[in-house]
Amino acid sequence: AADPAVISPQDPTLLIGSSLVATCTVSPDFPLKAEDLYWTLNGRRLPAASYAALGPSTLSVALARLNGSRQQSGDNLVCHSRDGGILAGSCLYVGLPPEKPVNITCWSKNMKDLTCKWAPGTEGETFLHTNYTLKYKRRWYGQDNTCQEYHTAGTYSCHIPKDLALFTPYEIWVEASNRLGVAVSDVVMLDILDVVTTDPPSDVHVSRVGDLEDQLSVRWSSPPALKDFLFQAKYQIQYRVEDSSEWKVVDDVGNQTSCRLAGLRPGTVYFVQVRCNPFSIYGSKKAGIWSDWSNPTAASTPRSERVAGGCDPKGGEQNTTLRRELKQFFGWVKKHAYGCSNLGIKLYDQWRVWLQKSHKTRNQV
Amino acid sequence: GDSWGIFTFLCAALCNLPALPALNCSEELGAGQSIQQTYDLTRYLEHQLRTLAGTYLNYLGPPFNEPDFNPPRLARAERVPSATVDLDLWRGLTDNARLAANYRAYSRLLCYLRVLDGQVGTAELRHRLAHFCASLQGLVLSIGGVMSSLGYPLPTGPAGPPAPPGAPAAPNDFLKKMDDFWLLKELQTWLWRSAKDFNRLKKKVPPAVVTLRLEARGF
Repeated sequence: AADPAVISPQDPTLLIGSSLVATCTVSPDFPLKAEDLYWTLNGRRLPAASYAALGPSTLSVALARLNGSRQQSGDNLVCHSRDGGILAGSCLYVGLPPEKPVNITCWSKNMKDLTCKWAPGTEGETFLHTNYTLKYKRRWYGQDNTCQEYHTAGTYSCHIPKDLALFTPYEIWVEASNRLGVAVSDVVMLDILDVVTTDPPSDVHVSRVGDLEDQLSVRWSSPPALKDFLFQAKYQIQYRVEDSSEWKVVDDVGNQTSCRLAGLRPGTVYFVQVRCNPFSIYGSKKAGIWSDWSNPTAASTPRSERVAGGCDPKGGEQNTTLRRELKQFFGWVKKHAYGCSNLGIKLYDQWRVWLQKSHKTRNQV
Repeated sequence: GDSWGIFTFLCAALCNLPALPALNCSEELGAGQSIQQTYDLTRYLEHQLRTLAGTYLNYLGPPFNEPDFNPPRLARAERVPSATVDLDLWRGLTDNARLAANYRAYSRLLCYLRVLDGQVGTAELRHRLAHFCASLQGLVLSIGGVMSSLGYPLPTGPAGPPAPPGAPAAPNDFLKKMDDFWLLKELQTWLWRSAKDFNRLKKKVPPAVVTLRLEARGF
C-alpha cells in the first residue's frame, strides 16, 4: 500500500536564514483535496496565509528566514488532513557549516599514550549534529591515522592508546563535519616527549614533627613510572587550612620525596596535596606537564598545653619558645644519650609534668 | 531417594510457599526465584524506559513528545509481534507459550534498539540507550533461565537480523522517527504485559515444578 501523501523536498538541509517552499501531494488512492490539508512545524500549525494550492491534491507552504533547528534530529514539518491525521512528514535540518576547531592541547601519560582535547569553532554548531575526527600522522612519513576513543576527557577529546613513536614529531589536527560542510583545524606539531605527564605521587603521609606546633612533615612516594622511564621528577606541594579555600604553594621542593612545612598555626587542621612533573626526560632539559594533585591528606598541628585565658601574653610567648627549645633538646638527648636513654625519657616526662603544674600555678593568680 | 520425593510433594501440598525454602530442594526453588527476579526486572525496565522514552522523544521533537500524539501505523510490515492480544487467548496460553512469546518479543526488540543506538545523535542518549540495552539483555537471559529451569526449549528462529526481509528500513527520516516512536510504544506495552505474564506464572509454577520432579523419578 502506498503512503497517503508525499512531501517535497524530503529531509532537506538548509542554511539559517534561508527560505523554503514545500509541497504536499496526496496519493491518488486517497480521496483528499488541497483544501482538506494543513501544515504544522514542530507541532505548531502554520498560518493558512502561507499556503497555496498548486493542483487539486497538492498544497504548498512558504517558510521564510528559517531559524536553526530546534532539535538535532531535524525540525518536523508535517502535512495533515483536516481531522488532524498525519499524511506525511519531512525533517528540516537548518544550521551553519562548522568552523575550524581550535585550542588543541595534548598530553601523554608516561609516554605510553596521547590524549588531546579541542574546542569547537563556534557556538552555532549545536543546531546540526557535528562530527569531530581527530587525525594524526608522523611528520615527513606515514599515513594519516584516525583516533577512535572519543569523549575520554570531556566532550571534545580523544585518546590514542598505543603505537606512538618517540623522538619524532607528530602532526595532529581535528576535522569537524556536519550536513552543511567540513572544517579542518590548524595542524599542531608535537613530540610525545614534550607533553609528558605522570601519575600523582602516591602514599602521601602528613605527620606532626614531635610536639612542634608550627610544623608538619610531608612524605610521599614517587610515581611508579619514574623508575621505568628515565626521567626525574620535581614536586610541588599545596596546603590550606581546613576552613579556607586559599591554597599555599611550596614550589622549591626539588626532587626529594619529603618536605617540612613550617610557619603553620598551632592546633589547626591542614589539607595537603602533592603533584609531580617529570622533567629531564631522556636527558632533555625541558619540563613536562604537571600531574593531577594527589588526593588531599589531612593532619593537625599540635596545640600547646596552655590554659586558656593568657593574661600574660608576652610571658606566655616567651615560655612557648623556651619550651619548644627545651623539648627539642630533650628530644635530642633521647636520641643521642644511648646509655642513659631511659633515664632521659623519664626525666623529660617528669619535667613536662612539672612544667604544666608550674604554668597552672603561675596563671591562676 | 524415593521417600525424599514423597516428602517434598507432601510438604509442597500441605505447606505454604514460604515454607518451601526450609526444604533442601534448590532446583525447584530456582524456578520460583527466577520468575520473581524476572518479574522484578520487568518492573525495573518499565521504570528505566520512562526516562529513556522521555529523553528520546524530546530528541525527536514535537509533535513526537506531545502526550496525546498518536500517529497512524502506516501499512509497513510489523517488525515486532504486538503485545496486545485477545484476553481469552492470553488467559489460555500455556506456560511454555507465554514464556516463548516474551522471549521472542524481547529478543527482537533488543535487536532494533541496538540498531537505534548506532544511529542516534547525542552522547547522553547513546549512553542511556546502551544502559537500557544491557538491562534488556539481562531480561532476555532471565526469561531463558526460567524456561530452562522448567525444562522448556528456547525458541529458535528470527531473533537475529535487525531488519528481517519484508520489513525494510524506513525510506525517509520522518518515517524513521515514526518507526522509533512505535518501537518505544511497543516496548512499553510489552513490559506492562510481561509484569502480568510473570505474575500469573508466579502463582502457577511451584507445584507444577514439583510434579515434574516426581515424574522424573518415575512416580
